[in-house]
Amino acid sequence: MVHALRRAGQRMQPGGSLISIRPHRTWRPSVAIITPAGRVPIAQLNNSAFDRRLSSAEAALARVVAEGRFTLAGVRNHRYRARLDNPSQLRTYLELIAAPRPRFPAGRRAHLLEIWRSRPRGSKIEIAESIVVTALRRR
Amino acid sequence: MAAALDISAYPPDGMEIRLIERFTTLRGRRILEVGCGDGRLTFQYALAAREVLAFDPDRASIEDALDEQARLGIQNVAFRLGSVERLPARGAPFDVALFSWSL
Repeated sequence: MVHALRRAGQRMQPGGSLISIRPHRTWRPSVAIITPAGRVPIAQLNNSAFDRRLSSAEAALARVVAEGRFTLAGVRNHRYRARLDNPSQLRTYLELIAAPRPRFPAGRRAHLLEIWRSRPRGSKIEIAESIVVTALRRR
Repeated sequence: MAAALDISAYPPDGMEIRLIERFTTLRGRRILEVGCGDGRLTFQYALAAREVLAFDPDRASIEDALDEQARLGIQNVAFRLGSVERLPARGAPFDVALFSWSL
């Protein structure tokens, strides 16, 4: 990614903005069941292969700043949620994520299904994800 | 036949643009987008931008983006198959570079 950042930087106006939008590395996707009585946390999803890519992206952004090509203009974190009607929709949601996809820790998918079977009427499945936006300014 | 599910694994439309615009406006700007995919984000800001050059290495995604561009009749976006490293080092400068979910 560092080569792409450098090439983009070569073609940017001084003072121009380089914006990186990517999933947050440590705020992992989480799954919960939302019932009329409250929120039942189920699992935080794992994605170790993707974590390595995110670490590389962070290192690349830090590197072009250290090289003096850019200055750091700011960072924003944001969380967003999707409410799904059933486990089948959750499977569809996860399949829509580009590979490598997040996975349930061992036993937690079964736990979800067990809780879901005894859910009160009106329950939903919630998946919460996080993104980070990093803004660099071209010197 | 069951209705198609409206499920997206990306943030709701408009959310990323609002976050970007905390740092810079996209209105009237010349924008380079790296990792545009099928143009999901591109089409959210293209009408406000002056001009967009958008890269993605996935052929199927670029073909989907071109189909959607034709359907929407958007004229100020050029989608390119490949990596941004293919971008010539010289040329008209960009005001904003977006690395959207590009790692």
